[in-house]
Amino acid sequence: MTEERIPPDKWGAEASTPTVQFYHSAIRQLIAERFAASGLTWEEAVQDPSLELTRVDFEKMESDLLATGYRFDVSALVSLQEEPDKYKPLPTVGDSGAQPQDESGRPIVGVGDNVFQAGADVSGTARFISTIETVMTMMEEGVSDGTIAVIDDSGGTLTVPILEFFDGVVCMGGTVRSHLAILTREYGIPCLMGAELDGVQEGDQVVVEYSRAAADPYADVSDATRDRPRMIKTS
Amino acid sequence: MPTTHSYSDLLRTNAWIRKVSDSFYWQCTTRTVQESKLFPVNPYIALSYYNAWYRYPELLRKIDAAMPAEELGDRAREVSSYVNLLTTSLTSQFYLSARQFMLDMGMLRPTDALDDVMFVLDFCERLNLSYHRNHAHMLATDSNNRAQILPERTVQVLHADAIGTAPGDKLHTAALAFLSTASSYAFLKNAECRLGLHNSGPYRVGNGQEMLVRDFVDLAEGDLPWLDGVAAPIEHNNLSLPVIMKDTHFNIVDDWGSFEAEPQYDSANMVAVGLYTSDYLSDGYIPVHMESAAELADYLHHVREQMVSATAELWRTMASWNRDQMIDAGLLVYSSVPRDLAHFAGVYEQDDWFLIEERAQRFRPLHNDEYGNSAIAELVGLITLPSQQTNDYRMSKWAAEPAELFSTLPYSPLEDDEWTSGVGPIREGSSALPRKTAKYTTTRGKLTQDECNAAAQAFTPSYVEKGSRFLDDAWVKSHSDDGRADALYEATQQGSRVLAGKGAALRREDVQRLRS
Repeated sequence: MTEERIPPDKWGAEASTPTVQFYHSAIRQLIAERFAASGLTWEEAVQDPSLELTRVDFEKMESDLLATGYRFDVSALVSLQEEPDKYKPLPTVGDSGAQPQDESGRPIVGVGDNVFQAGADVSGTARFISTIETVMTMMEEGVSDGTIAVIDDSGGTLTVPILEFFDGVVCMGGTVRSHLAILTREYGIPCLMGAELDGVQEGDQVVVEYSRAAADPYADVSDATRDRPRMIKTS
Repeated sequence: MPTTHSYSDLLRTNAWIRKVSDSFYWQCTTRTVQESKLFPVNPYIALSYYNAWYRYPELLRKIDAAMPAEELGDRAREVSSYVNLLTTSLTSQFYLSARQFMLDMGMLRPTDALDDVMFVLDFCERLNLSYHRNHAHMLATDSNNRAQILPERTVQVLHADAIGTAPGDKLHTAALAFLSTASSYAFLKNAECRLGLHNSGPYRVGNGQEMLVRDFVDLAEGDLPWLDGVAAPIEHNNLSLPVIMKDTHFNIVDDWGSFEAEPQYDSANMVAVGLYTSDYLSDGYIPVHMESAAELADYLHHVREQMVSATAELWRTMASWNRDQMIDAGLLVYSSVPRDLAHFAGVYEQDDWFLIEERAQRFRPLHNDEYGNSAIAELVGLITLPSQQTNDYRMSKWAAEPAELFSTLPYSPLEDDEWTSGVGPIREGSSALPRKTAKYTTTRGKLTQDECNAAAQAFTPSYVEKGSRFLDDAWVKSHSDDGRADALYEATQQGSRVLAGKGAALRREDVQRLRS
């Protein structure tokens, strides 16, 4: 096999994300090397079990990437728990100390998109719910009245056993079409999705502008002039 | 030697590839790429594609040999089951997603597995043509996002028997509580994906009102091994709620059975609701506790309580799983989207659908959370994989960029020998999850796998029987006074509180009058 036998990709380009680029390039390279060494036609080689890539090949690619110092972004808690050395730490809510103020001089600690227009704004206590242990505790001890759940998961499953007991939800991700949004709409629980938070902490008293209009799912989310419903710290 | 497929076969297959490619792009970009703190969603999605690639050719051939795709579509159209808008479009899309990844990795060339690709896509196309027969489209997106799957006779029954309700009454409260709890349970038991939820319609029921059929499938002990025990008390595997809404236009019911409405969906606008069960062994929809509003409300409350308990127990189990188990659950939910077809055909085997082939398993080390997210994002949203790029002059349907989600088949195998046939027989499989042990919940009770298959093989629904199968609405239009039309309608009306024995002559206004 010579390099000339590897077909060109006339309109190809690099992948747009680092892990895809690294892995797919490594696989292409390994395939090319094995194909070249086989002396077979492509049609023979692709159907030859002895030339198939194996789990060991893929494990080596991951090792090679980690050896460069690269660490992966994490999504699921279980991934970080089982292999903490492979992943970056989870991000936390920051506090710039420079929050804008509302008309009454109270700090605006977040903005987001309403899933639906509720009948009224909701006041309550911000409770961060981002771990299995927190959910388990709330399942056993109950959810306090006036809980506004601050969730960093646009999926519906982490909080599903306790979701119906929240007075409001503020989700630091997703869109008004995410699974969590679908569920809060079904339960009639006011919800802000795609929330950007700054300076809100566990136990803060807040009011959330759920009575403002629902977000337009077709709007340009990058539009900086959007006037988004606010989460305001009241004490 | 050149392929024996014809030029027209390849042209048709490529048109189907582009159709499902365009649909998948629109669905994925409007319904978001999902992440979850509980499940490693995108890693399991990406891995599921490989399981589809290596297993679908053999499994779909097995199904097609027992019952052709066209008949499967005819049967599935008349009930609410796991064969629905969502799964009938995803089967092609999951299979092609693996192909695209492996094209991108250089593991395949576009002319590889040609016979497999042609068969799988032909099967899916025939299934969709048949399933969508009543509106004569192939996907809901072809119909400007409408999914009017049912024939008039069935819509009339659902319309006629829907029980009136208003905000604050017992039935309204029970129905809304059921819908929210069933949605939650559906997301959880499907490892964070929406495959347990499904909507079809809308249907114009008069007075400016519209009816949407809201389906919840795989609720009880059945194919999903992790529902053994947890879901034992749930009597019905599939439940459908036709909901009639005032002041609501469902402007979108898409290829995933998701809906949007104008003005915004507001549950206070629900004015009537019904409840049915159905599956591959039922002769259409079977009413469930619909003799009165009070009876229906009590039953919806009862099922909701069962699902609340099942949700809590299942959540505790799932939260204790390790990453491999979580990935396996989601992967198998995804890669098994065609499995109910095997039930319809009477050839269902649990191990066909709930094991992960060794050639798919080998990819697991690549699938950390970031790669999973990135690979799915590039494949279905960004369309930035090198293999997806087309010539610089092109614009795709939605993005106006020179790239397409799925690559088509080259036509060169019509004249040269640079192509391969398929992936060969399914190899050994495995799973980190406990094996299924309980029976399967059906409309005929709880059955063993063998009993399910025997019952399916012996069953012919009234609407598929010889002499009935091809009597569609286009025929009824000019034969409503024909005895065969009456027989067909009366079979559908058999369990109807309002329409039993009324026959084929009724118009919508007649139904409206009878139900008031």
